[in-house]
Amino acid sequence: MSSRRRRCKRQLIKFTQHIARLITGTLNSDNEDEEQESTTVRCHPENLEQLQLQTHFCRQELQLLYRGFKNECPSGVVNEDTFKNIYAVFFPLGDSSKYAQFLFNAFDKDKNGSLSFEELVCDLSVLLRGTTEEKLNWAFNLYDINKDGKITKEEMLDILKSIYDLMGKSIHPRLKEEAVRQHVRIFFQKMDINQDGVVTIDEFSDCCQKDENIMQSLKIFDNAV
Amino acid sequence: MAAGVAAWLPFARAAAIGWMPVASTPMPPPPREKRRGQDGLIILNVSGSRFQTWRNTLERYPDTLLGSTERDFFFHEESNEYFFDRDPDIFRHILNFYRTGKLHYPRHECISAYDEELAFFGIIPEIIGDCCYEEYKDRRRENTERIQDDEENENSKDMVPPDMSFRETMWRAFENPHTSTMALVFYYVTGFFIAVSVMANVVETVPCRSEQNRAKEVSCGERYSVAFFCLDTACVMIFTVEYLLRLIAAPSRYKFVKSVMSIIDVVAIMPYYIGLVMSDNEDVSGAFVTLRVFRVFRIFKFSRHSAGLRILGYTLKSCASELGFLLFSLTMAIIIFATVMFYAEKGSTSSKFTSIPAAFWYTIVTMTTLGYGDMVPKTIMGKIFGSICSLSGVLVIALPVPVIVSNFSRIYHQSQRAEKRRAQKASKQAGQALVCKTNPTFETQHHHLLHCLEKTTNHEFVDEQTYETSCMEVSLAKASMSRSSSMSSSPHGLSSCCTRRNKRKSFNVPNSNMVAGRRGSIQELSTIQIRERPVNNSRSSLNAKFEETVPLNSEEQSYITAAVISMPTPPVTTPESGALGNCPDFLQSNIVRVSAL
Repeated sequence: MSSRRRRCKRQLIKFTQHIARLITGTLNSDNEDEEQESTTVRCHPENLEQLQLQTHFCRQELQLLYRGFKNECPSGVVNEDTFKNIYAVFFPLGDSSKYAQFLFNAFDKDKNGSLSFEELVCDLSVLLRGTTEEKLNWAFNLYDINKDGKITKEEMLDILKSIYDLMGKSIHPRLKEEAVRQHVRIFFQKMDINQDGVVTIDEFSDCCQKDENIMQSLKIFDNAV
Repeated sequence: MAAGVAAWLPFARAAAIGWMPVASTPMPPPPREKRRGQDGLIILNVSGSRFQTWRNTLERYPDTLLGSTERDFFFHEESNEYFFDRDPDIFRHILNFYRTGKLHYPRHECISAYDEELAFFGIIPEIIGDCCYEEYKDRRRENTERIQDDEENENSKDMVPPDMSFRETMWRAFENPHTSTMALVFYYVTGFFIAVSVMANVVETVPCRSEQNRAKEVSCGERYSVAFFCLDTACVMIFTVEYLLRLIAAPSRYKFVKSVMSIIDVVAIMPYYIGLVMSDNEDVSGAFVTLRVFRVFRIFKFSRHSAGLRILGYTLKSCASELGFLLFSLTMAIIIFATVMFYAEKGSTSSKFTSIPAAFWYTIVTMTTLGYGDMVPKTIMGKIFGSICSLSGVLVIALPVPVIVSNFSRIYHQSQRAEKRRAQKASKQAGQALVCKTNPTFETQHHHLLHCLEKTTNHEFVDEQTYETSCMEVSLAKASMSRSSSMSSSPHGLSSCCTRRNKRKSFNVPNSNMVAGRRGSIQELSTIQIRERPVNNSRSSLNAKFEETVPLNSEEQSYITAAVISMPTPPVTTPESGALGNCPDFLQSNIVRVSAL
C-alpha cells in the first residue's frame, strides 16, 4: 500500500514539474535519462603467450579468434544481451534466448555477468581440442543449471525445451508438448543408472562413454577453427 | 548474416557440443573444410592507393568480386598485388563493407559513379546500411527521374518517323506544338481565341451606358448582344473543331475522352450548345444563365499552354492528403469554435450569432484572419474565445502549408531542371564534339568491322542526309539460297528481284531490329516489303565518319537488295548471323523484313 502511495506522490511531483516546465517554457529534455549511464568497461586479455599456455590453440588461431571477437565487441567483454543477439542471428527461425542464457551461464565461470575473451577461448579450447572427459564435463555443467552437481528432471526439461525452441515453429512434424517430456524420460532412462531421479557427473560420464553415437558426435567439431 | 557475426560461428558450433549427449540420433558429418591457406594479408592496389586487409575479411562475401576467385584476374605478378584501375575514394567504402558488414553511402559522391563501382565489385546496393539508405534512395530516385526526362526528350524530339500516318502526325502536332510550324500556328491561334473568349465573358458584364439614356444601366452584353453572340459562336466553333480534331487524332480515344483536358474542353463548349437548344424555353432560361458560369472554365484551357498551371495542378493532386488533412482539421476547429462562440454569445442581446451554422461564418472569417467585422462578439467570454479562435486559426492553417509549398517547389524545380537540361543540351553536344577526339586505331578497326558486316549482308549503312523512305515491292522469284560464305557474292540471286534506284540508297541492318518476316517454309515470296530504317544519332555520326574515312565500293552499288537468306527451320531473326548450319537445297527463304518505325 505504501509503495502505491509513494508512486502516486512521485507521479504528482512529476506532473507539477511538467506543468511548471510547460509554463516557463523550458525545452530541456528530461534529466532523468542521464541517470542511467552505460558504464563502459574495457577489458583486454592477458598476453598471447599466456593464452597459448592455457589453451590448446596455436598462435595464429588465437589471433584469428581475437580479431573476430574484438571486431564484434570492441570493449573486450560480452554481456548477456549481446550474446543473446549474436545467437539469435544463427537461429533466426526460433527463439534462442533461453538457450543462449544457459550457454552464457555455462561460459561465465566467475559469474560476473560478462564474458571476457579468456573465458570464451578457454571454453572453446576445451570444446574443440579437449579430451572427451573435459567435453562431457562441460556438457554436464551446461545442463546443471543451478550448478549443484546434479541434473534433475526439471533442469533437463528446461534445457531440452530451450533446445527445441531453437528450432522455431515451422518444423515437421509439429512439436507436441509431450515430445519434450518423452525426450526427458528417454534421457533419464539412459543416464540415471541408479534410478534416483537425478543424474550425477559420474553416471553421465559413464553412460556417454559407453554410447558410440555420442562419442562419435563429440568429435565432429574438432576442426571448427 | 553480418560479416562480423561470422566470427562467432566457431563459438556457436562449439557450443553445439552441448546437444550431443541428449541427441538420440547420430549427427551428420561435418562439412569438409578446405584447408585454408595462411591467413595472410592481401594488398589491393587501387589506382595507386594501397589497401591491405586479411584474406579472410575479403572471403566473407564469396559472391563478390573481391571475395571470389574473380580477383585473380586482377592479380599483378610483378608487384605481387591485386591491381584495380578504379576510383580509390569509393573503394574505401567498399572495403569497409567487407570489414564491418555495413555499406555506407558517401554523400558527396555522385550516385552514378557509386553505383558503377558497386556493380563492378559485385555488391548489391540493397545492403546499404540504414544510416545511409534514405539518402541513397533519394539520390537514386532523382537520378532516374533525370534519366527519364532525358529519354522523354530524346524520344519526343529527335525521331521524326516520316511515314507516320496523318493521324499520328496530327497527334504529334497537338501534343508538341514545336514540331512544325502548322502546329505552332494552331497553338497560338487557339490560345488567342481562348483569351478572346474569356475577355468577352468578362466584358459582357460590364455596365455600358445605353444610347437612349435610360435610367437603368445595361451591361455591355445586353447592349451589344449580337456582337457578343457572334464572338461566342466563333470561339465555340474553333474550340469544337479543335476538340474533334484531337478526338480523331488521339491514339486511344477512350483514354483521351477520360483525360482532364478533354473534360475541360467539353465543359467549355457545352453551355453554348445547350443554350442553343434551350434558348426558347422560358422556364429554363434561368438555368441557362447559370450555365454561362461554366464558360469561365475556358480559362483552364490555358493549362495546355502554360507549364506553370500544369505544375500547380499536379502539385495539388500530389498533395491531396495534406490538403485533405488541412480541410479536416479546419472543419473540426470550425465546428468546435462555432459551438463555443454561439453559447458564449447566447446571452447578449441583438447578437448576430443566431445559430451555430451562423457562427460558422464568424469562425471561418476569424480563423483565416480575414475579420470582415460583420459579426463580432460582444460578451467578454465571446471575446476571449474569439481571440483563442483567431490564434489557433493561424496555427492550424500554417501547419500543412509548408508541406504543400515544399511539394510544389520540388516539382517546379524538377521541371525547371528539365528545361535547363534541354537548353544546355545543345551547348553540351557542341562541347562534346570538340572534346572527343577519336581514337584512330579504334576507329579504323571499328570501321573495318562494319564494313565486314556490310559485305556479309550485302547492304550498306546509310547516311542520314540521303535517307528517304521507300517502300518497295519486290517480287521474288525462286530465290536461290545464299549461305553466309556466299552471301557477299550472291547478287545474282538477288539482282533479279531488285530495281535500281537512281540515288545511292541503301539501308542499314542493325541487328536488333530485324524481324523475321515469315516463318516456315516459303516456296515463293510474292512481295517483300522493304522499308528503310532511320538511324539513331550515334550511328549516324559514325556513319558520317564512315563515309568520309573509308571509301566504300558501295558507291557503285546502287540497288536495294532484299536480304534473302535461306535458313533451315527454326527461323533466325538476324540475317548477319551467317552461320546457319547447312542449308538444304530447297526454297526456304525467310524474308527478313527490315521495317522502319
